[in-house]
Amino acid sequence: MIRPMTARDPKWSVVLGATVTGLTPILLLFSIFLTLRGHNAPGGGFSGGLVMGSAVILRYLASGPAGTRTLRIDPIALIGAGLMIAVGVGLTSLVVDASFLESAIWKDDLPVIGEIKIVSSSIFDIGVHILVVGVVMAMVIAFAEADDEVRERR
Amino acid sequence: MIPLLLAHLVVAALCLAPGRHSARWALPFAALLSAATFGWLVSQSADILDGNPSTTNVEWIPELSLSITLRLDGFGLLMGLIVSGIGVLVLLYSMAYFGRREDLGRLAGLITGFAGAMLGIVWADGLLTLFVFWELTSITSFLLIGFTDKVPAARAAAVRAFLVTGAGGLCMLAGFIILTTSTGHTTISELVADPPSGTLTNVALVLVLLGAFTKSAQFPFHFWLPGAMAAPTPVSAYLHSATMVKAGLVVVARFAPTFAADGPWRWLIVSAGLTSLMLGGFRALRQQDAKLALAHGTVSQLGFLMVLLGLGTPAATYAGVAMLVAHALFKASLFLCVGVVDHEAGTRDMRRLRGLRRALPVVAASTTIAAASMAAVPPTFGFVTKEKAIDGLLDNEIGAIGTVALIGIAIGSVLTVAYTIRIAVGLLGDNAPGIDTADPDIDAADLAPVDPASIHRPSIGFVAAPALLAALSVIAGLAAGPVGDRIADAAASLDPETASKHLVLWPGFNGALLVSTLIVAAGVALWWFTRERTRTVDARQSFATVVYERTYDGLLDGARRTTVLTQSGSLPLYLAIVLVTLTAALGAALIAGATDSISSPRFSNSAVEFVVVLVTGAFAVAVPFSRTRFGAAVLLGGSGYALAIVYLVQGAPDLAITQFVVETLTIVVFLVVLARLPNEFSTAPPWAPRIARLGIAAGVGVTVALFALSASGSRTAPSVGADYIELSEPEAGGRNVVNVILVDFRGLDTLGEITVLAVAGAGVVNLVRAARRQQRRNRIEDSTDVVADAPSVRRQVGVWR
Repeated sequence: MIRPMTARDPKWSVVLGATVTGLTPILLLFSIFLTLRGHNAPGGGFSGGLVMGSAVILRYLASGPAGTRTLRIDPIALIGAGLMIAVGVGLTSLVVDASFLESAIWKDDLPVIGEIKIVSSSIFDIGVHILVVGVVMAMVIAFAEADDEVRERR
Repeated sequence: MIPLLLAHLVVAALCLAPGRHSARWALPFAALLSAATFGWLVSQSADILDGNPSTTNVEWIPELSLSITLRLDGFGLLMGLIVSGIGVLVLLYSMAYFGRREDLGRLAGLITGFAGAMLGIVWADGLLTLFVFWELTSITSFLLIGFTDKVPAARAAAVRAFLVTGAGGLCMLAGFIILTTSTGHTTISELVADPPSGTLTNVALVLVLLGAFTKSAQFPFHFWLPGAMAAPTPVSAYLHSATMVKAGLVVVARFAPTFAADGPWRWLIVSAGLTSLMLGGFRALRQQDAKLALAHGTVSQLGFLMVLLGLGTPAATYAGVAMLVAHALFKASLFLCVGVVDHEAGTRDMRRLRGLRRALPVVAASTTIAAASMAAVPPTFGFVTKEKAIDGLLDNEIGAIGTVALIGIAIGSVLTVAYTIRIAVGLLGDNAPGIDTADPDIDAADLAPVDPASIHRPSIGFVAAPALLAALSVIAGLAAGPVGDRIADAAASLDPETASKHLVLWPGFNGALLVSTLIVAAGVALWWFTRERTRTVDARQSFATVVYERTYDGLLDGARRTTVLTQSGSLPLYLAIVLVTLTAALGAALIAGATDSISSPRFSNSAVEFVVVLVTGAFAVAVPFSRTRFGAAVLLGGSGYALAIVYLVQGAPDLAITQFVVETLTIVVFLVVLARLPNEFSTAPPWAPRIARLGIAAGVGVTVALFALSASGSRTAPSVGADYIELSEPEAGGRNVVNVILVDFRGLDTLGEITVLAVAGAGVVNLVRAARRQQRRNRIEDSTDVVADAPSVRRQVGVWR
């Protein structure tokens, strides 16, 4: 059986812990990559957010509730921030007299990097990404609380 | 007007911002806004009273032809002056009343929010505008009654007031909708200019009256008002005597001159108003708590005003508007006086108070003057206006109902005089009513008289507001002529014929004076014979309250029973119901003809697909054969991953990525949850034998598959896919059309979806945290082994947190 563990737990797996520690930065980078490339290639905020969320879940599996608590981010803050970014993009397009959520495209040539193109809907996608991470974290918190409950009952 | 209303909103938000932190600046800050409103209204008054109302119309939702329509006419100006003027005084008074309390920001914010909503009511011309502000006052009133939210009685009173006034508001909304749809008019001024008639109109008007009766605490909805006295006294003075309870009168006053003559209007008004007048008067005679006595008196006085403003004759309307002003002045003053007494002597129980004349001379003088105005003793404004009212009713223009109104008001006024003397003597006299030692409910020790020497001296700021209001009651009485002319100009916006009316301080010996004299004499006599009565009538046992409580409990009980009936708590049963319903609905659609579009599908397009589809199917078939939950979860995951490959082969990498990631997360969640469950499946419930489960599963599988085939073959409109692909790059600047659809073309859908996700996520976190708090609280209760009725306490806490 796989179950969440802590270092004090006799069944704590060193292998799992080490794997997660190594994997986490890769997953985080990959998730950002997925979100940002989404506009032109397979990917997007939803899948990117889920990948980042799975990093959080992995951390939970490897180190238990204590591990998730060290994150010190309120999932509700993440959810709210994501939703606000998404709504903000829509409202911004209203303010500049376009229809709700209509995309604006900025293109510019930067030295060294070359041509850069930013589309406002990418920012919307970043909002989706952040929100999805928040929702996954909310799930993890629910698990962690259930763990605590089990431990206290023993 | 709009900027002023917005200013109220902003100031309310600013005052609420510090939350429970100390915010002593909030009260004077809010008072500043009320003073500014008052000043602005005064600056506008000359023009408005000349008969030039100022109107504002702001499109709100043009698609639904909703707009915010405001109209500042003479009556609106007068009411606005009352709302803002008494608002300033109450807010300044509150500074002394509350002293160093922590949550003054909340109080100031709520009062300001209320004042804004109340101004919206008195200035509203659009029916729906009126309704919106109406409900806003119900909400702010709810929050203010429950301001001391640690007291269960205050919370219950707040809920009761909110439910009663809220239900009335909904009735009124229904009435407004009928009026709007049957006439096409959306504003009061249009309705009054071109009044409809007929049965439908009468139904609508009765509904509007129901709203007005609940708000103005008229029989049989009067019972919430005494309970609302759980609010702090400044709030009671402002909302529940001077302003909010007048909202119903405002609506009645605006409709009555046009609509009173036909249908059931006058009889409804007179029966509800007179019943309230007498019931309130009787109840007020039997209170020992000065504030409660005033509250019952308010019900009574509101009944009086309801009759006057509802009769719809020019004389009654004019007297009603004048009495409205008089009532606001003296009743607010009396409430604020009782607040000072409560604050300085520590009790409002009239049996315990003595020697206040010497201890609180300013309060005593103010109380006497305001009480004189309430009892209609010359030369107060209360006397002047009541003379006018009786005079108007003596010139009966409307037949039998006018006579009924006159007799009822005369009897009610006798009660008014009696309870006014009772309150004044109870507060200020030295001979407090004796204690009924035979009454087992009364503990003599609780009723020890307060030592006059122990009464604190209030600061000047504390007594300024009630003193000023009392002084105004006399000044307005002495200046009856000019004041009456201003009021006539204001009332002319309700009924042009009132413009020629006047007020006089001394009308000479006429019929009205005779009636008034008889009323005062009878009132004094009634007080004399009932002065020893000390048994209090508990408002909680009144018939109306009992009916309300029964209905309320019955509703909750019914809801609980329905829940028990429909929510068995058995997951297999829920699942079975959902799945059978799904099968039945889809099956019905298929039988009804959706089968036509089913095309015979190809099994696969390529060798790779063939293999992948086979694998997907194999995993799915294996799931039911797994003996362990863990195994089933893994097999389900395998089927999901295989499906991702199908997407990939079909050329939908985005779908594949999403499917892959979602599948991974699902498996992980499964694992975490399954870690807490027994590894083996539990045995099936007895109502679901193997054959039934098989049937449900097969039914769902077959219908869903057929439906999918049917749906994919039943396209009638051309696909927009090609357009999306074409427009993706130029319109939205992205080459990944799937993503562009999600974030741009169908961005609103995505926004809706992530909002649902957000609500679900926030809900999960808050549920977990609430359960956590609850556990902690239970543990504390268990460990200290507290109070026998802990469960009930816990239930209340659970509801109110």
